[in-house]
Order: sequence, then structure tokens, then C-alpha cells
Amino acid sequence: MQKSISFFIVFMLIMGILSGCSSNESSASGETQDGKIVVNFWSFWGSETRRPIIEKIVKDFNESQDKILVKHTYLPWGDIWTKNLASVAAGSPADVIINDINTVAQRAENQQVEEITEYVDDDFQKQFYSYLWDAVVHKDKVYGVPFNTDTRLLFYNKKAFEEVGLDPNQPPSTWKELEEYAKKLDKKQGNTYERIGFYPLWGSTGPSTWMTNADNGTSYMNNGKLAIHTPRKVAALEWLLQWKNRLGDKTVQTFQAEFGSEQSNPFIAGKVAMWMDVGTFYTQIRDYGKDLDVGVAAVPSFEEGQGHWAEGGGFVAEIPKGSAHPKEAMEFIKYLTGSEAQSYWAEENFDNVANIKGAETAAAHLVGTEKEIYNAMVKNLEETNIYPTPVEYPDYQNTINPIIDNIMLGKITPDQGLKQAEKQVKKLKQ
Amino acid sequence: MGKIEMSISKDLKSVKKKRHIKTGKRTRAGKNNLIGYLFISPWIIGFIGLMLGPMLFSLYASFTDYNITSKMNFIGLANYKHMFTVDDMFWTSLWNTLYYVLFSVPITTVGALLLAVLLNQKVKGMKIFRTIFYLPAVLSGVAVYFLWMQLLSPSTGMINTMLSWVGIEGPAWLFDPQWTKPALILMKMWSVGGGMLLYLASLQGVSKNVYEAAEIDGANIFHKFFHITLPMISPVIFFDLVTSTIGSFQIFQEAYVMSESGNGGPANSLLFYNLHMWNNAFKTFDMGYASGMAWILFVIIMILTVFQLKISKRWVHYEGGNDK
Repeated sequence: MQKSISFFIVFMLIMGILSGCSSNESSASGETQDGKIVVNFWSFWGSETRRPIIEKIVKDFNESQDKILVKHTYLPWGDIWTKNLASVAAGSPADVIINDINTVAQRAENQQVEEITEYVDDDFQKQFYSYLWDAVVHKDKVYGVPFNTDTRLLFYNKKAFEEVGLDPNQPPSTWKELEEYAKKLDKKQGNTYERIGFYPLWGSTGPSTWMTNADNGTSYMNNGKLAIHTPRKVAALEWLLQWKNRLGDKTVQTFQAEFGSEQSNPFIAGKVAMWMDVGTFYTQIRDYGKDLDVGVAAVPSFEEGQGHWAEGGGFVAEIPKGSAHPKEAMEFIKYLTGSEAQSYWAEENFDNVANIKGAETAAAHLVGTEKEIYNAMVKNLEETNIYPTPVEYPDYQNTINPIIDNIMLGKITPDQGLKQAEKQVKKLKQ
Repeated sequence: MGKIEMSISKDLKSVKKKRHIKTGKRTRAGKNNLIGYLFISPWIIGFIGLMLGPMLFSLYASFTDYNITSKMNFIGLANYKHMFTVDDMFWTSLWNTLYYVLFSVPITTVGALLLAVLLNQKVKGMKIFRTIFYLPAVLSGVAVYFLWMQLLSPSTGMINTMLSWVGIEGPAWLFDPQWTKPALILMKMWSVGGGMLLYLASLQGVSKNVYEAAEIDGANIFHKFFHITLPMISPVIFFDLVTSTIGSFQIFQEAYVMSESGNGGPANSLLFYNLHMWNNAFKTFDMGYASGMAWILFVIIMILTVFQLKISKRWVHYEGGNDK
């Protein structure tokens, strides 16, 4: 009896181990029954709006040829990078993944992504905005292809402008004007604000938005050198503090906590008259703000005659290190970043895309306010910069941001704070 | 508890010895052992493969610049040196965590105990109250944090609204670095139901005879509580203290969910140890450094637990005498 039990257990264990091996093998073959090569594609686009669009692009690609079958897998935003990394480490990654444009160099340096220099030439490169292309090049080698991007614009409520006697076709163009307009647009009932004209840290912005704007579009790094403690950046933070002090902590916090819930956007609800956000913000206005007459403008400049610099970001399509089919993966990436797929993505999502022709085609298809705003979004890219994380300072944001928090809380002056930040970041150099 | 385990293992040892002598055959005993090991093999394989292995690996990784994909060069104590001398956020995160442990553990333990004593009274409909107070322990995770983010909203949140009824102007909670940690501790208070259930069970296990004897001797309610109830349930209090200390040191989710994009809240006031570790591991992919941090936390928790075990001999009462 005992003997048979022990044999049974050993048998079960061996079966378990064997079946584990065999199932691994069959899934790694990477070919369909009719001989097509399977390209696994990972993205974080799982929302109601985005998923059908990316899946239509995948379907179009699959139907356009008979050698490759792209399989799209949606992974939640919070999981996708960790999962990618784990699969790269395990040697069985996806073949194409959508990843952050600002950290391409990091991944190249750490060998998490395949080099694709051999698949791209000058003509290919010319399809894309050059500042986006720069971000996918690390030490003269190419590691990804830009997919989409974004830029900040000033959205303003035309009705509110008319109400207080401002010309709705003359949005503020400098920081000084922005402040003047904002004060006019404030609406107070006793001590509480019913409407706030503008607050520079609401919307898709942060202190860095204003510091880079003031500093001629340069971020914390300028030509490979740290540029955290600069006179213009100090001035920008001082200016931000003025806003905070004028409105008062309580007002700012109260407003902020209310729209933390994202149930209703305060700009759309008419509680804030001017609002900085990315271009796609317009879709929210379109869907939820039927009565809102909205205008857009570039980010006001630090002083008359200075650039209207805006912060950008975006995503690239890349091949994780160790992909079994890099050549086929690249075929798909070329389709994904080609003008046809890009204009489709741009139009449907109202998103800035990296392919210049794709962006222009989308703008030509749109009509009315959508066209006007999309054109502004595309034009804004001329004065948009992205700020890739420097390879030497992978963790610099985490060091700088709390210090900026402390500056904004009034615990340390902008001058002292930025000086301290620069010193601390210098210590981090790898 | 400890005593029972000890005695069982003693019994087992003696049984084994006896059997060995009796049969005198090595093979028979060996076979029995083999079967025994086979039965516990899922656990052994799990422990070695999923616990001990990765732990030893992370210990080694902490002496390297391991970045998951390409590097794993031995760099000696550099990670630990960086931690203690360069990384200011290491100290911030350690301080935030200690602050949280120091307040949340005593408050929740006392809270759970008091609640359990109250719910141990013989009142009609007590079962309903017990269910109500235990309910928050059933609800957990991200949904609860979102609920609390709304409750703690400075202007429209229920907590500040209620405070304003009694004329108190509530703080900005999660937006003010001074108040973020107290806000979290307050939130933890809400879910004392789990600890309460433990205490309630042990309270019901305290023999009525002891109370009766004390009453005859003229003990009042406080005497009974401090001289009978507390000592009798002290093993459970001890268990709760140790586990909730360990749990509190590992606080992560709350800060990750409740601070904007998991960055550790305003001015890093919610940057807890594990959050900083997580950021190092999965944002900058400095896995070697993160492994080092994990081991430092392990050492801290180990020291505290050993300390608690030592000090427990002075106040934890085991029925039937302390087993040494």
C-alpha cells in the first residue's frame, strides 16, 4: 500500500515537471499553422476609445500581407514595463512594445531593447519630427521609432473672456498678460472664489513646464551639463509662488482636491477660465462641454519676444531585447509608424503623432473647431521639446521633485532650493 | 502556542528514535522518511524555489549593480554605502516608515482591543454590531483608498465637513505634508476589525471561573480587566503586535495609490521605505540597490522582532507556565 502511494506521488511529480516543459516548448514556436510568423505586440491601450483603434491598425496590417501575423496583447499601464523587463530577463519577450520615449537611452544602455539601425535609413528618419527622432538615437545607434507625442496648449473660455471685456480672439501671449487676464477673469463671492482665471499648476502641467518655458526650452540638462540652478528657473518658481500666495493655499487646495476626483473637469465646468493641457484634452471638451466656446493658444512666453516653449512627451515602438523575430517586428513597426496608420490614429484619437505626413493628413481630414485645434496642436510642435532622462542621472526627477514641493510649500526659497537640487543631483552621477 | 509546537517536535524525535532502535533496519526507516519528505515536498520545493532561492539571490544581488537585464557586476558594499551616505531619500523613507509604525501599531492595537472588549458584552443584537465593525476588514485594497481619498478631501470630504460642524477647521490631509501620515493612520483605524476578531475569540476563551473567583475576592471591573483579561489574552496581543509591526513596516499600497502617480506624496511625506525600494527596483531598474534596501529592512524587522520576543517574557502570560 505504502509502496503504491509513494510510486503514485513520484509519478505525479514527474508528470507535472514534464508537462511544464512541454507546454513551454509549444508556445515558443512562434509560427501559425499556415506558416505565418507570429509577432507579439504589447501595448497599454485598453480603453474603450483606444483599443478598437489600435486593433483596427493591427487587423489592417495582418490583412495587408500573408507572411506575418501580429497578435496584440493589452497590458495595464502599471504592469507593462515590469512585465516587459521580466520577460526580457527570462529571454522570451514580446516582439514589439510601446514604451516611453524619454527613457529609450536608458533601455539601450541597459540592453533591454534591440538596436534597429540596420532597418532604417535617412528617408525613413525624415518622416518624423527631428526632436522626436533624436530621442530614439543613443550613441549614434537607433533603438526605436517614435509613435505619438503631445504638447501643452492654453485652452481658454471665450464666453468668460467676453463677459469680463477681454477680446476672445486675443489670448494672452506673455506671462505678464496671462497674469493680467487671470486677475480680470477671477470671480469672487465674498471671500470664496466662484471662478479662478488661471492657475499655472493645474491641468497637464507642473513647475517644470514653466521652468523650461522660461529657460528657452531647456530642461534640467543643457548640452550634457546640469542646468537646474539657473536664473530663469529661479524666476519661474518665484513667479509660481506669487500665484499661490495671491490665491492662498486654502483656495488652491480646495479647488485641487475637488478635481482630484476627475468626475468633472473644472475648466469644462466653467470654474477655471484658462487651462493648460495636452491637445487630446479637447476630446473631453467635445464630449462633455457642449456649451463651451473654447479657444487655444500656445504657452505664453516668459517675456515679449521669447519662445512659447512647451513640454512634450510621447511613446515609441521598439523591439525588446531577445525578440525571436526582429525583422518581422520591424515590418510591423514600419506600418505602425507609417503615414497611413498614423493619420488614422491621429484622427480617431485626436492625438499628436510622430509621423509628419500622418499629422498633416489628419489635419486635412478634420473640419471646423476640430481642424482649428488640431492645426494648433501640430503647429505647437515647432516650439515643443521633450526631455529624455539623462543616462547618468536615471533618478533625477525623484530627487528634484520633493525639493520643488518644498519650495512651493514655502519651506525653502527657489534660489536655495534649486541650488540644493543641483548639488544633490550631481551626487547621483553614475 | 510555542509550547505545543516544541512538545510535538520532541515527541516526534523520540518516536523516530524508538522506531529506529526497534526495527533496527536502516532501509525501513529510510523509506518512511522518504515518504514523509515526499508528502511535504510541495512545501519544500515551494520554499526553496520561491523563498530561499530568491532570498539568497537578492542577498547576492545587493552586492552587485544588477539591473535585471544586462549587468550583474560585483561591486562590494557600494550599494550599502550609497544608501547610508548619498541617498537622502533612504533616510526620508526610513523616517516616514518609523513614524507610521510608531503611531499606527499602538493605536490600532489598543483600538482593536477596546472594540473587542465592548463587543464582548452581553447586549441584545451584539451580533449585528460585531458584523458592522468587522465589515471594513472585508473590504480592502484600492477601492477603499479611493473612498478615503474622497472622505479626506479638504473642502468637500465628509471628515472635514463633520469637523466643521463642531467648529474645527480640518487640515488639508493628503495635500499637506504635515498631515499625510496622520491621514493614513486614521484610515488604518477604520480597519481594526481583523485584530478585533482575534481578540474577541480569545476573550471568549477566558474561563469564567477566574472572574467569579476574583469577584468573590471583591475585585472591581478595572481589577478584572488589568489582572485577568489582559494577562489571559496577552499571547494574542503579542501575536498581533508582532505581525502588525511587521506589516506596518511593509506599508506600500496605501502610499502608492494615494499619492499622485505613486511618487510619495507632497514633499515626499508619503515616501515609505517599500515605496522608495519599489521605485528603485521598477522605475530606475536599480535592482541591486533595491535588493540591498530589502535586506536592510529585513535586518531592522528581525532586530525588532527578536527584541519583542525577549521583552515578551516579562508580560506575556502562557497558561500552564512559560516554557523555556
